[in-house]
This record gives sequence, structure tokens and C-alpha cells, in this order.
Amino acid sequence: MRKVLLIILIALPIISQLIALPFVNSIHPIIVGLPFFHFWLVLWIFLTPLCTWGIYALQKAEGSID
Amino acid sequence: MNDQLIALFITFILVAIIVVIGFMSGRDKKVRSSVEEWSVGGRNFGGLLVWFLVGADLYTAYTFLGLTSSAYTSGSLIFFAIPYSILAYFISYFFLPKLWAVAKEYRFTTLADYARGRFDSKLLSALIAIVGVLMLIPYICLQLSGLQDTLQVAGKGYINVQVIVIVSFLLVGLYTFFSGIKGPTYTAIIKDILVWAIMLFMIVSLPMIHFNGWNPMISHITKEAPQLLTIPSSGPKAFPWFITSAIVSALALFMWAHAATGVFTAKSANAIRKNAMFLPLYNIILTLVIFLGFIAYMVLPKGTNPRFALLELIHMSYGGVAQGLAYATIALASLIPCSIMAVGASNLFANNIYRDLINPSVNGARLTMITRCMVFVVIGLALLFGIFFPTALVSLQLLGVAGMVQIFPAIVFSLFWKKQTREATIAGLVVGVIVTFSMYFAGKSFGINEGFWGLVSNIVILLLLNPFFSKRAGTNAIKQFLFQK
Repeated sequence: MRKVLLIILIALPIISQLIALPFVNSIHPIIVGLPFFHFWLVLWIFLTPLCTWGIYALQKAEGSID
Repeated sequence: MNDQLIALFITFILVAIIVVIGFMSGRDKKVRSSVEEWSVGGRNFGGLLVWFLVGADLYTAYTFLGLTSSAYTSGSLIFFAIPYSILAYFISYFFLPKLWAVAKEYRFTTLADYARGRFDSKLLSALIAIVGVLMLIPYICLQLSGLQDTLQVAGKGYINVQVIVIVSFLLVGLYTFFSGIKGPTYTAIIKDILVWAIMLFMIVSLPMIHFNGWNPMISHITKEAPQLLTIPSSGPKAFPWFITSAIVSALALFMWAHAATGVFTAKSANAIRKNAMFLPLYNIILTLVIFLGFIAYMVLPKGTNPRFALLELIHMSYGGVAQGLAYATIALASLIPCSIMAVGASNLFANNIYRDLINPSVNGARLTMITRCMVFVVIGLALLFGIFFPTALVSLQLLGVAGMVQIFPAIVFSLFWKKQTREATIAGLVVGVIVTFSMYFAGKSFGINEGFWGLVSNIVILLLLNPFFSKRAGTNAIKQFLFQK
């Protein structure tokens, strides 16, 4: 279970910011004043640290970091 | 006093304050007592200080001037900088703590030091140092031209720009010689705070001044210049270029000598992990800066030199105190990273080219002195380079990223892959650099970043050749440290 979660947290930032990009390449809808493509990139500025933090928390619980 | 002079005056005062602080950071003689103290601050910086230092390192005058001018000329393509710098920190979470730990244990101060230890190879260490220094000098030079451009717009008719640029960089060289990494660290805090304040101020006030607010601005751009806002779906630079450039730059980021120097100053592996978590937030600034480039595109008269887009935009919109503060910020963003880069490059030069190749028996005190003196050589080379090849700069910086990423397998794969051998790594590195450069100079890269082709061939050669050498490879203390667990 932990392992699956870990893999998801590692994969999310990579998929969202490389593979997914051709699919979010549009101006509309405009969200919080940003064209969708830019909204998507800004969103991941905030979500990526959460993923990293999640990975850190998982590793800590496992005791795999000092 | 007119507006222009007030702005110029503020710029000078702030730069002078920074130089004084740079010197004061070196009051304690201990900061230049050894290479380890001088270049990585004795490895006792906490999480926040490392954040400021790495932030100061990577968000330079070139970032601000280069991003706005690229946004001005090629629209959203420049947004590859956002996934690039988010992923760079994310990926760094997985390898920097390990690299830091082995560097601390064996007192390495450069990436080339690590490669020498891990592979028992002075040749590999020197190769990595040569790539590192060669790629870094144009980058330092870009900082210098950032300052030059700023002064040129700020001091039109009042000052001799070239003289002031040379004097400023000599002063920075002197305080770096004197205070080592402590100089840029304390000044970096001031610079980072100024950067955040000025960027937020501009991104709020500029849309107000020119479009009556943010939302009207976006709808204006959507109507008048929608091509700025999305990635072209065909052409020489479309998605394949966007994605491979993001990957290459992300992997290359911590291969730069100045970034590695910043990381090695950390006092614990956890300080580095926390930085990997929080540094992506710094990219909010990048997003804002790119939008400033779009504003420049909409409001500046056609035919403005893109290189001056941001500077002209500030000049046209503010004048006086606000212009002075903004220009001062850009000037500091050119001088402070220059100092950190000079530390990184000097250290490579002295430790991994001079000591490893030329004079292995040099003693500690002499080596420290040589490392510190190299600051002037590095800055001097950058000045000469800027004077003789002023237009080659921007393209060389892009090539620099593609070149730097070629040491990634030597540095990062080797932390996790026990059987990786020196022979295969050297062959991969050499092939990678050759492929990257030939693609670049042939001008054909089939819509994909040159560095990506180089990296792929680098890795293929490494994987193909490695089995032939892995049986003969012995072990050493560093391998044992990395793989005993």
C-alpha cells in the first residue's frame, strides 16, 4: 500500500509537467485570471512541494532516512 | 534632481551597500582558512540560508532579462522554464542528500572531487571540471552583460558604462577573494527580499497602469496576441522541444558548479530535503517575470530591442524611485550570482584541473591561496569573453545547459549503480558532449533539444560498454560508503 502511494507521488509531478502538457495547451477556461495552460503550471508549483513532502513523510515513517 | 538621476543614484547606493556587506562578511579570518571554509562555508548553513543561497544562485539578472526578452520574442515557449525548475528540485530530492552525505564524509567541495573519489580517476575529475568551467564562463559573462544593459538604460548620457561594469566586477571579485562563500550568502538575503518585493510590486502595478487591471490585461492579450499564450503545435520548436528542454535543464540544474557549491554548504541532509520541498515555490517569481515579458510585448513600441524589453518597460512605466529600486535589484541579481559562480568555477579550476592534473603534491595553504586567486582569472576571462564575443552569449548559455547535463550519469547514476565503471563513464561523457556540440553547430536537432540527443547517446554508450569493464573494477572506500547498506 505504502509502496503504491510512493509510486503515485513520484509519478504525479513528472506526468503532470511533461506528458500531460500537450493536453492542457489551451487558453480557455481562464481560471483565477490565468489562461488554462498557465493556471496548470502554477497549480503544480504548489502541488509538487506537497508530493515531495508526502514522499518525505512516507520515508520517515518507514525509517528509511536518518 | 531629475527622475533619471534619482534612479541612477539609488542603484549606486544599493550596490555600494552590498559591496560593503560582502567585505564585512569576511571579517573573521576563519572564512579563508581552507578551501572547505572558503568555498562551502565549513558546511554549516541551515535550511533557510541554503534556500536563500540557492535562490540567489539560480535566479539571476539573466533570468529576469532573458526570460522577459524570450517571452517578448517567442511567447509561451519560454514557459518550459516552469516545469524545468519545478522538476529540477523534485528530482534533486532523490539524489542530493546522498551526494551531500558522501561529500561531507570525504570532504569533497566540488562534483569533480566526488567523481575522482568514486571512480579513482583524475582524468574523469579533470574532464568534469573542464566542462564545468567552460560552460560557466559564458554564464558569468551573461551576468556581466545584464549589469551592462541595466546601466546603459539607467545612465544614458551620465556615465561611462564599460568602466563602471569593470570596476563593479573587480569589487565583487575582491570581496569574493576576501570572504569566500560567506560574502554572497548574506548579500543574497537582501537581494532575494528585494527581488520578491519588486516583482510583486510590478506585477500588481503594471497591469493597472497599462490595462486598468489584471483581468482586462488577460482578455486584451487573448484577443490581440493569443499566439503568446499557448505552445505552437508544429514548427521547429513545438512540444517535443518544450518537453525535452525541460528534462535536460532539470537534470542539468544541480550539475552547475555554483549550484553544487550552494548544496555543499548545507549542514545536514535534512536541510537539503527541506530545500527540495520549498524551492519550487520560488518559481512563482518566474511566472510573474514571464508575464512581464507579455506586458512588454503589448505596450512597447514595435522594434524595441528584446534584450532591453524589461528595462524599457520599467523606464516607460515608472521613472524615479521605483525605477531606481527595480534597476538596483537587477544589478544585484547580476553581481551576487556572479560571486557564487566565481567560487564554484575557481574551486574546479584549482582543485580538479591544477591539483589533479598539474601539481598533485600542492599543500593545503597554497591550494587555498590558488583557489582564491582563481576568482580574478575567472572573472577576467568572463570580462574578456564579453568584450570579444558580445552576441554569442545567449546561445552559449543554452548550449551550456546541454553541455552540463552530460555529467549527470557520472555524478548521479554512480550514486546508485554499484557496477558503473570509470572507462564506460568517460566514454559516455565524451560521446555525449561531442554529439551535443555537433548537433548544435550543424543546426539540426529535429525539433528536440540538442542536449537530449547527447544525453541519450551518453547513456547508451555507458550501458553498452560497462559490462566489458565491470569485472575488472575494484572497490574503494567511497564505493563501500555508498553501497554498504
